[in-house]
Amino acid sequence: MAGWQVGIDIGGTFTDIVASLGAEFRTAKVPSRAADPVGSITAALAAIGLAPGDIGDLVHGTTRVTNAIVEGRLEPVTLLATEGFEDIVEIGRQSRKDLYRLEVPPKPAPLVPRERRIAVAERMAHDGEVLRPLEALEAAVDAALATGSRSIAIALLHSYANPAHEAMLAERLRGRVPYLSLSHQVNPEAREYERTVATVLNAAVMPLAAEYLAKLRAELPATTRLHVMHSAGGMASPEAAAARPLLMALSGPAAGVAAAAAVARETGEAAVLSFDMGGTTTDVALILDGRAEITADARLADQPLRQPMVAIESIGAGGGSIVQHGPGGVSVGPRSAGAEPGPACYGRGGTEPTVCDANAVLGYLNPRRKLGGTITLDAGRAAAVFAPLAERLGVPVVELALGVLRVADATMARALNKITVERGVDGRGATLLAFGGMGPMHAAGLAATYGMTRVLVPAASSAFSALGCVAAEMRYTQQRTLRLAGENFDAARLATARTALIDELAAPMLAQGIARAALAIEETALVRYRGQSYAVDVPLAGPATGAGLGAAFEERHRALFGFASGEAWEVLGLRIGISAPRASRIATPPPAAAPPVPTATDPCWFAPGAPLPTPRYERATLAPPHRIAGPAIIEDDWSTIVVPPGWVAAPDAAGHILMLREVT
Amino acid sequence: MSHTDPFQLEVLRHALTAIAEEMSFVVMRSARSPLLREAGDLSSALTDATGALVAQGRDIPVHLGVMSFTVGAFLGRVPAERLRPGDVWFTNLPELGGNHLPDVKAIHPIFAEGRLLGFAVSLAHWADIGGAWPGSYVAAATESFQEGLRLPPLRLFTADGPDAEKIAVIMHNVRGPAEREGDMLAQVAATAAAEQRLLALCATHGTGTVEAAMAALHDRSEAAMRAAIASLPQGEFTGEDFLDDDGPGGAPAAVRVRIAVGGDHATFDFSASDDALAGPLNTTPYVTAAAVYYAMKAIAGPEIQPNGGCYRPLTVITRPGSLLDPPATRPLVGGNHETSQRLVDAIFRAFAAAIPERLSAGGSTTAGLLIFGGAGRDGAWKTLYEPHGGGEGARHDRAGVASARVHLTNTNNTPTEIIEAEFPIRVIRHSLRRGSGGTGLHRGGEGAEREYEVLAPELSLTTMFERRVIPPWGLAGGGPGAPYRCDLHHPDGTTEELRGKANLMVRQGDRVVLATSGGGGYGEPD
Repeated sequence: MAGWQVGIDIGGTFTDIVASLGAEFRTAKVPSRAADPVGSITAALAAIGLAPGDIGDLVHGTTRVTNAIVEGRLEPVTLLATEGFEDIVEIGRQSRKDLYRLEVPPKPAPLVPRERRIAVAERMAHDGEVLRPLEALEAAVDAALATGSRSIAIALLHSYANPAHEAMLAERLRGRVPYLSLSHQVNPEAREYERTVATVLNAAVMPLAAEYLAKLRAELPATTRLHVMHSAGGMASPEAAAARPLLMALSGPAAGVAAAAAVARETGEAAVLSFDMGGTTTDVALILDGRAEITADARLADQPLRQPMVAIESIGAGGGSIVQHGPGGVSVGPRSAGAEPGPACYGRGGTEPTVCDANAVLGYLNPRRKLGGTITLDAGRAAAVFAPLAERLGVPVVELALGVLRVADATMARALNKITVERGVDGRGATLLAFGGMGPMHAAGLAATYGMTRVLVPAASSAFSALGCVAAEMRYTQQRTLRLAGENFDAARLATARTALIDELAAPMLAQGIARAALAIEETALVRYRGQSYAVDVPLAGPATGAGLGAAFEERHRALFGFASGEAWEVLGLRIGISAPRASRIATPPPAAAPPVPTATDPCWFAPGAPLPTPRYERATLAPPHRIAGPAIIEDDWSTIVVPPGWVAAPDAAGHILMLREVT
Repeated sequence: MSHTDPFQLEVLRHALTAIAEEMSFVVMRSARSPLLREAGDLSSALTDATGALVAQGRDIPVHLGVMSFTVGAFLGRVPAERLRPGDVWFTNLPELGGNHLPDVKAIHPIFAEGRLLGFAVSLAHWADIGGAWPGSYVAAATESFQEGLRLPPLRLFTADGPDAEKIAVIMHNVRGPAEREGDMLAQVAATAAAEQRLLALCATHGTGTVEAAMAALHDRSEAAMRAAIASLPQGEFTGEDFLDDDGPGGAPAAVRVRIAVGGDHATFDFSASDDALAGPLNTTPYVTAAAVYYAMKAIAGPEIQPNGGCYRPLTVITRPGSLLDPPATRPLVGGNHETSQRLVDAIFRAFAAAIPERLSAGGSTTAGLLIFGGAGRDGAWKTLYEPHGGGEGARHDRAGVASARVHLTNTNNTPTEIIEAEFPIRVIRHSLRRGSGGTGLHRGGEGAEREYEVLAPELSLTTMFERRVIPPWGLAGGGPGAPYRCDLHHPDGTTEELRGKANLMVRQGDRVVLATSGGGGYGEPD
């Protein structure tokens, strides 16, 4: 039974798999094998009854590149830079991250030490004019090779405007060094420090990415098409990913947001806040009209990446976040019990109270159920670790646990506020789309705190990143600095750049046998008034005229900022996204429509005082039109949905559960 | 707290901070000038009914010092009985809880249940406030009047709408009035958003609960500051540091502090500092308080939440007539970022013998500013406002980092690729200044060198930097860092060294080379 569309997300603890073929849909979660990613994939396939030969397309989300950058496990890189600017990689932008901590170095150590920075005698101008021809080419090449590095990065001033000198150096180096990273390819945009760092980081993860992908490729049948999930929420070919592994820096979280965007499109939700609450962190993102916001300003380990990425706001509060008591109040995180030992209620040695333990104390977690079939939840242990603090505060343990949830919700509500008001959106009218281990448990409480009335817990919410891999389109995005003045608009130059970028992005898809006619092209001009430093995204439909673009820019500026001044404008750059549609379904077919029967009724606390008798339902038994009024708990092997009093849970035909708050 | 429990306070702290953060987003989204939209030179705050700061949108140390006092001083001029719902007042007077004229504050009283609940304050750096030079940045100023328009508290908006005549007076006296008016409206929009959100918070939690939380947040920061002070050695400590000059020239000027730490209270007495200066390096008691707050936080309590309660266990004394409490007619535009840093240096040096392991040696404590002005490539007037970082001071356990911003300043440099695309300037070189860090067991960080070539017939140039004469100091036996140096090379081969506070014209082919200071070293070299 070949042709399955398979998504696999290999995380630190678990490997998630989702597979679809026609109307059939399967999902599972298996423990990850740290040293053997291919083994993790084989085991996940076996768990859903598939063999490697059954796979048509395998889309893979991986944290390998992310972890290498975060943990600093990087290949030593030699950098070729314009003479007089070799130190840019160390000078940086000079600002520091922490204003007050004197003991923290103001910026990370330079990615390339001084002895591996090679000066190149050459100089381009901002408009691409050659100010100084490339001299002493062989000497620079020899000096770079003499460092012995396997990876060489080339980042010359203004190479986005004229890549000729970078190309000349690359030509002499190709074949003499295994890994080459060129700044005009990795990030063809102005700002030399950020472009240099992105190019060096790319060089530094190339060996690791190339070897990993080659191993994966070698162990999969030749009939399987392999793709990797990239940070902008689309998929890329292994060849493209090996050449630009920096694309995978946020592969994991982007897959979750891609799934959220797919669910938003499928259910027609216009404004969605994705809410991915895990053990240590919570990621939120804004999805408007089924599209996640994309940014090129994301950073990882304090380093600029300059790759198009899903705009995610991450905060240090999750289920494992430790409850602390300082002068005047109780706070949550950023310290976390992590995966090991985990919350106290997991019974694996955790001794400090966590957010997850507060849920256990309140009765939300089912003590008769094994989390993922292995972990037994022990509410008694959770209550015990809260007891000393409760005594100190002079409140019952239950009241303390309720307080902890309020504080956690307030912390996360601030992140929701940030990603919406920054973009001029009132998040209170949006739908909160909850996933991750803890998301469905906290969603209703967070939504109420923030003033929202709609929560959606999607099907397969616990393997959501893997679902994102199946739902994602094949999609490549790149942006390039152009600088075209609005007056005497050079439409021909825009058209030439547009064609070149489209050809470059389409090449790997055409190589995979996708017809050119099947490709969807999304074009965005980055336009600003002269004097502004940052540009506004103006959607384009094909070749543009100066007058048309100017009018579209002013309209967009007015919509975003409330005014348009009629001043001189310019096109700063061009962003092209190319995608090929997928033929995969993302939702489970509905089960038989019988009225749901509770599996048990337990006391749960939603307010101080007495607990409420709260029925528990098996998620798989829910189907429309049967609604469940809170208080209720809906559970499966991996997650717990809390439906507080005042909320109603409405399952839909696709397996999603919509929760609505009755506003009084 | 009668109406709140231990969790309520944390919940309301997040909610109040979110309101202040939202104010900053509103200004950045709707302002007209790049200084606000992109550089984000602004701050937002909520205060209680007495003007004590409750929450700040982003923690900018100098702005915190200022906004902790602005509303209190404002209420001294404008009694609370005159305030009405819907009012928005504007002021920029340095002597009224202020710092320098370009930082204009919008003050919006918020009423709930018929009584004054607090204020929303939006501080924004206006790109021009009038005066003798575009950008209102006059290195050679000798009077405050040359620095721009001085605005005592003015009610520019009421519930009925804007006061068009008063606004016109302001807009007729600043450059770029359309852009300035846009910025002003952004500040008004931000305070209106804060009012709406704060009233919604009162509706959810009860006005009494919100008021009680404001009081408790002050108590909480006060307790944290007291704990920080108590962790310091007890007794008296004196320190001094010197400005290179008074602006126009002259000898170095001293700032001196006598610190008395007694239990959980500390007094910072700056009375022995020099008299008010002729040039724009004077500053205000509020900036002085901000420097004390920063130093305490950096030395003893990085976690202290910024609000008015921080100042309760601190007594900050300045002498009227001194450069820290000057007559209202004295200029002070540069004191905000230069003299404020001298104050931090003086405080650190006071503690240098007692707790060297909790400090850093002297760093590049100056904005290191070069401001180029002239017609850009498209013919329009442009200003390149370029701050330069230098070497960080070393610490007991590590060397200083090269080319960084330290203490009260934290601004980015401008990339060469942006400068060359937008200004008639070519950057010839941008490299580290090898060997410029002070000697020591751990060396100070290296400064940087940047060389600018003028491509236009003529550009204006303003310099505003310190540490050219007095180098960054070493700690615990470490050597000083190399001082700043700025040279102007002419095409005919002649060179002149530029002073740290100068307004001049540069011409085509001239090259300006700025070498920034290295950091001080730590400990005797091996």
